Amino acid sequence: MFFRMIRGAFTRQWKKMLMIALTIALGASLATAMLGVMMDVGDKVNQELKTYGANITVVPKASSVIGNLYEVEGGESGETAYLREDELGKIKTIFWAFNIVDFSPFIDTEVTLPDGAGVKLVGTWFNHHLALPTGEELDTGVKNLRTWWSIEDGRWIDEGLDVYEPNCVMVGSVLAEREGLRVGDWLHVSAPYGENDLIVCGIFDSGDDADEQLYAPMDVVQALSDTDGYLTSIEVSALTTPDNELAERAAKDPSSLSIADYELWYCTAYVSSICYQLQEVITDSVASPVRQVADSEGAILEKTELLMVLITILSLIGSALGITNLVTASVMERSNELGLLKAIGAKDGAISALVLTEVILTGIVGAAIGYFAGLGFAQIIGHTVFGSSIAMKPLVLPVVAVLVLVVTLAGSVPAIRMLLKLRPAEVLHGR
Amino acid sequence: MSLLELNNISKIYGDLKALDNVSLSVDTGEWVAIMGPSGSGKSTMMNIIGCMDKPTSGAVLLDGKDISKESAKSLTAIRRDKIGLIFQQFHLVNYLTAVENVMVAQYYHSMPDEKEALEALERVGLADRAKHLPSQLSGGEQQRVCIARALINYPEIVLADEPTGNLDEANENIVLDIFKQLHKDGTTLVVVTHDPEVGEVAQRTITLEHGRIVKDALNANFKEA
Ligand SMILES: Nc1ncnc2c1ncn2[C@@H]1O[C@H](COP(=O)(O)OP(=O)(O)OP(=O)(O)O)[C@@H](O)[C@H]1O
Ligand SMILES: [Mg+2]
Repeated sequence: MFFRMIRGAFTRQWKKMLMIALTIALGASLATAMLGVMMDVGDKVNQELKTYGANITVVPKASSVIGNLYEVEGGESGETAYLREDELGKIKTIFWAFNIVDFSPFIDTEVTLPDGAGVKLVGTWFNHHLALPTGEELDTGVKNLRTWWSIEDGRWIDEGLDVYEPNCVMVGSVLAEREGLRVGDWLHVSAPYGENDLIVCGIFDSGDDADEQLYAPMDVVQALSDTDGYLTSIEVSALTTPDNELAERAAKDPSSLSIADYELWYCTAYVSSICYQLQEVITDSVASPVRQVADSEGAILEKTELLMVLITILSLIGSALGITNLVTASVMERSNELGLLKAIGAKDGAISALVLTEVILTGIVGAAIGYFAGLGFAQIIGHTVFGSSIAMKPLVLPVVAVLVLVVTLAGSVPAIRMLLKLRPAEVLHGR
Repeated sequence: MSLLELNNISKIYGDLKALDNVSLSVDTGEWVAIMGPSGSGKSTMMNIIGCMDKPTSGAVLLDGKDISKESAKSLTAIRRDKIGLIFQQFHLVNYLTAVENVMVAQYYHSMPDEKEALEALERVGLADRAKHLPSQLSGGEQQRVCIARALINYPEIVLADEPTGNLDEANENIVLDIFKQLHKDGTTLVVVTHDPEVGEVAQRTITLEHGRIVKDALNANFKEA
């Protein structure tokens, strides 16, 4: 009988029920999309930070101390201390050599342009071909490390090709704009230890300080600064294992570990053990993970998540209000019928159960529609905002289900209260 | 002992006395008509007898038990177990068929039993309309469904408020014939009406005016069917 009544109510009131279902679907779809994106993007970024984000910089010991004390960038104060270029190959001989994906040395110096402007000239590898003592061969350099650079004009310096034109320079977009430099232009630079004519072969946009700098091959810059065979820093990109408690203890002071712990730590690809091993092979160096990038991405991620949580909450409140209106209107419209049921002896609980069952069944339909629509929204958001598709976590479904249930029940409260107050005598005598 | 007894009941809305110190007793098997002009308190009295309202003062004894002090919850139970209600506007659930409307009363009372519900419809002459929705039934037919629903749980007392108010002559007669049959079967009937023809066929007529009983007489013309 209960089932017949529910079915009857649905066939007769399907338009109203559809409205309620759509209201719920709207809330559910937003909740699904937001939760799906949130959980997946959070995971993705974390994973990316864990596998790729562990960039390590190696600087001379003296420079690192000064840099840390005065909080200035390592390169500028490190004039007196250098790393040795001939030790670079050793990077690929450490225990975790296979986890070193890319690395590149840097040497930088201040140069003066013809108009008197002082500019930082950075010497580095672009796509350096390396034949290692182990017999392994490797192409490495900033072309791999600076994946976010976009070439606005011209091309990357190609070390294989530029043997024939060794004076190529790449110019940051801001600097190029200011100096009116274009691909093919000659640029005269003078430095304390010499001067040179460089040809602009590419203009890049990095979105950071590098936009105001010049990038040229190592030997060009070493010649200008009289630092042949020396480096100011090395950047290393390594695949690492996420830190745990052991890694944190070791990062503070490896000598505090027991022998067993030390071996476990040393033989695990923690970023701290890779740093430690780099310091072992590069004389007088300090290797440390670059965390700033990860941290700021993390902060943006947190803000984005907060925003999505807020959108979810607001949309659910919106649905709850919509449901409140619709369910209350429906109970009002049916006050005769519900009053009659009371008059013939239905208990308040029985009538509430009837109305709630209707609403919840509608809610389930709405939630199902909303969930599938939300899957679609999530993909749209994934592609337009994050440029990747979203893999729905299984947790999304139960969370959305619980949220919809709570919202639907909360939205029905005023209608149920009205229903309880309904007095059969008042509706049945046609006043 | 009488089935229903009203002892000095009043119902007061603000300074309006809808019922003013009314006393009345109805015996088992009696057929009582309550008459009076509009606004005289007939429906108010029905609501109190039907456990849908409480008097401001006075006692209502049903089966010797005072129901005027009961909680809303136990009034619901008394309504369900002892009272059959018939309304002027029929009040059928419009998305349920005739037989389902009868079964609803069974459902909230105990167990729906389609066979028994169909028999009840047969007694009011609607066996062939059992699967129709209220919107597919005439007013008279709807009222007969309403009567079948009121009788399905074997109430001790059947209350009808203007049962023929929305019906034409022919349907009115059908309903009155059903009442006669009910009376013959021993059902206690209290019928509110302002239609003299409906009043006349009852065993006893009570006339209300301004919330007071002004006349309470046995009907000389009353014939046992
Ligand atoms: N809930 C209420 N609040 C205030 N006054 C009410 C209420 N219910 C009834 N009344 C008043 O009580 C009086 C009696 O009403 P009642 O409905 O009992 O009349 P009635 O005899 O059934 O009239 P009718 O023949 O028109 O149905 C009327 O004056 C009515 O306005
Ligand atoms: Mg009335």
